[in-house]
Formats: sequence, C-alpha cells, structure tokens
Amino acid sequence: MSNFEPKLVCFSCKFGWGYLGDEAELGAQIKNWIPIVCSGKVDAAHVVDAFKSGADGVLILGCPEGDCHYQDGNFEARKRVYLLRKILNSYGIEPERVRIVLAIDPEGKQIPNYVREMSETLRRLGPLKQVRLPGRQMAAAKAKK
Amino acid sequence: MATKPKVAICWLGGCGGCDEAVVDLNEAVLQVADAVDFVLWPVAMDFKYHHVEGLKDKEIALSIINGHVRNSDHEEVAKLLRQKSQLVLAFGACACFGGTPGLANFTTKEDIFNWVYRDAPTVVNPKGNYPQPKCNVDGKELTLPEFYEQVYALNQIIEVDYYLPGCPPPPDLIANAVNAVLTGKLPPRGSTLAPHKALCDTCVRNKTKPPRIALKDIKRIHEVEANPDTCFLAQGILCLGPATRSGCGEVCMKINMPCRGCFGPVEGVKDAGAKFISALASMLDVEDEKQVKDLVDKLDDLAGYLYRFSAPVSALVRKRV
Repeated sequence: MSNFEPKLVCFSCKFGWGYLGDEAELGAQIKNWIPIVCSGKVDAAHVVDAFKSGADGVLILGCPEGDCHYQDGNFEARKRVYLLRKILNSYGIEPERVRIVLAIDPEGKQIPNYVREMSETLRRLGPLKQVRLPGRQMAAAKAKK
Repeated sequence: MATKPKVAICWLGGCGGCDEAVVDLNEAVLQVADAVDFVLWPVAMDFKYHHVEGLKDKEIALSIINGHVRNSDHEEVAKLLRQKSQLVLAFGACACFGGTPGLANFTTKEDIFNWVYRDAPTVVNPKGNYPQPKCNVDGKELTLPEFYEQVYALNQIIEVDYYLPGCPPPPDLIANAVNAVLTGKLPPRGSTLAPHKALCDTCVRNKTKPPRIALKDIKRIHEVEANPDTCFLAQGILCLGPATRSGCGEVCMKINMPCRGCFGPVEGVKDAGAKFISALASMLDVEDEKQVKDLVDKLDDLAGYLYRFSAPVSALVRKRV
C-alpha cells in the first residue's frame, strides 16, 4: 500500500479560504481543488458522486461557525456531513473519508496542509473499493457457452 | 392473429404485486388482451420459456419486465427477452431501481446465507448444507441458479427502453404506457413514463407546509397519530416526498402514510437518497453537532430509510467488504 497516492477532492468556500492568495498558484499545489461560493453549496450528491468517480476522500473547508456570508450555509454543510457519514458507514465505507473543517484562512496557505493531513488518513485507509457492475459478462452468459 | 403485436409480461425477482397491478386494470386488461398476443406471462398463463426461445429476434413488440436481478436465472430470462423484443419496459420499483429487495445490498451474500441457512433461530441444519449451483445426487447432477453478490436493477443487466416506477405502478400510468406502445406515440427512448416533478409538487398536504420546516424531533409513523391533512415533514415524520418522483396518485398520503420513495428520484437526479440527505440536513433545527447526533442517531437505519427502493442504482451501489 506504500505506493498508494490517495485521490482527495477538496471543496473550499471562497469567502473564507484563499481569497487573498493566488488561485492559480494554489491550484497548482492542490490537486482536485474546487473553490466554491459557500460550503453549503456542497450537496450530499456531489460527495457521493465524487466517490463514484474514483475519489478516496472528500474534504470540505467552510467558514467559521456563525460567520457564514449566507447566514448558516457552513452549518448546513456540517449537518449534511454528519448524515453522510452515517450513510457511508452503511455502505461499508469509512466515515473518515469525508471531513469538514470550519475555519478561516484568507491566504489559503493552510489548505495544502489540510489536504496533506487528510491524505495521510486516506493513505492509512487505503483506496476506496469501487463496485464494478459486471453488466453483460455475468455468469449466466458464460454458462451458456 | 398474426398481425397483433406480441407482448410478454415477466417477473424476475418480483413479488407478484406488479403482475397484480396489471390485472388491476380490470376490464381494460381485456381490451389489452384483445389488442395483443401474449407470448409469456408466467403468473397468469401457461407459456414456457422454450416457446419464447423459438421466436425470432425482436419478434416480441414489448416485454414488460418486473422484479430485480439477483441470480443467474433472472439474468438469463432478462437477456432472452431483450434479444426477442423490440421494446423493454422496466416495470415497477424493483426493475427500475432494485426495489426493496435492493436493501440486501447493505449486507453481503455471505451474511445472508449464514443467517438463512445457519443462524436464524428457526433453522435446523446440522450438516451445515448450503445451496450450491451444482450438486450430485445418486449420480445425477442437479443445478440451481447462482446467487449473485448483490441485487441489480434491470438496466444494469440489459438495455432498457422505458421505465415505469412504483411499488406497484398505478393503473392510470400502466394504461398510458400500454396505449403509448400500441399507438406508437412514445417519448424518446430511456424516458420514464411518469411525471417529472417531485411528489411534494402534487401533494394535497403541501399547502400546510410552513415556509421553513424546522425539526426539533423526528418521529416514526407508528409512534404518533399523524394529522391526516398536514404535511408529514411539518409533523416531524420523515416523508421522502421532496426527493421522490410524483405520479403515484399519492395513495400513501391518502391512507396517512408518509412517502417511502417507490417512484425513485425525480427527473435528472440519479441518487435520491443523497438528495434527501441534503434536504433533511437543512430541516434539522439544531444548535450544534451534539444535537444533530441526538436527533439522528435514534434512527435505526438511515441508509435503509432513504434508499428503501433504490440502493442498487445509488451512486455507491452496495456495501463494501
């Protein structure tokens, strides 16, 4: 597992994270970085879709609690993550694969650190098991031959 | 006779409720029977699969298939009908999304077998026999279909032309679907033959919904006497209406039961459960994460509740082991 490089998708709110930094420069440092307007914009469907598309983990960076530009988008996101983690557990997926941090970092220098930290967790967990749908080559088709 | 379109109705892993729903067309089913030639309908008529095998490819105008795919027999029948049919209609929640049997995707084949053939209190199995696809008895080989690792929706096995969800689909939509085929007035392939909106849009209780639903507590339907005219969510009862396609005729609402999601996701949405998570999260009127925990942790099986009919077609498909 030592060669495993986890694929992490990082959503961060533009109101709290890296708005003073150089987006292109930060983007070069952070793979799969998706700056968005409000962490509350991250739908549970976006997270499960990331997993379906091959992500090993999803990190959401929102503004500090009580400090959302849209009143409570960050808290909505936090509640969503709590529910999502329960759902992931039922699918046999480690809840740690989705994480939300509510803080502020205008320069965005902490983003690569958070990404690194979570990537360590993911490295320990190993790759997310993908479900391959065998579709048209299933047993009955083989048995016919 | 020869000019009538041939129609097959078949169940895979179904309960028979979908076939019953066809019979519930009442007198109209007789008109349908006049207009078409049935070539297969295991629940109602005595045709054999080899009769279907004897047909030319695409000789059947329409195959109406209900039930999920869980074993090699289901798969074989599904593929046979696909080969012989011009159109395949996935009929009912199981064929469209995996249905309630799809909840088995939250457990494993191994756990199911261990419970059913070893651990359940009513099981007496001293030799520890488990069903095998092949076994020899008195020098003869006996076979059983192979039980797959998970439940599949029909379109995960064969190409499906149209979808008609519901558990079971309601008579008006069935009649529309059959008429559309008979008259050739069909929407683009891949369409779901049901309205596009969410159930809340057509629900009569919608007018009682407050501008913002704020849940301090979540109750289960049997724990309270629900008001028969008020929005379930406003009463703190989980109702999947916001994330479920309408078209069912609100039959559950009418008997004071919340929506359980048998019509699947609304048009354009793939994962109904994830959408409901987002909706539910915003409805929880809590101050901090501890209160979220107190509120949500008492729900026994959140994933099962939200994916009651659609786990196999959800983004995450099934439990990892």
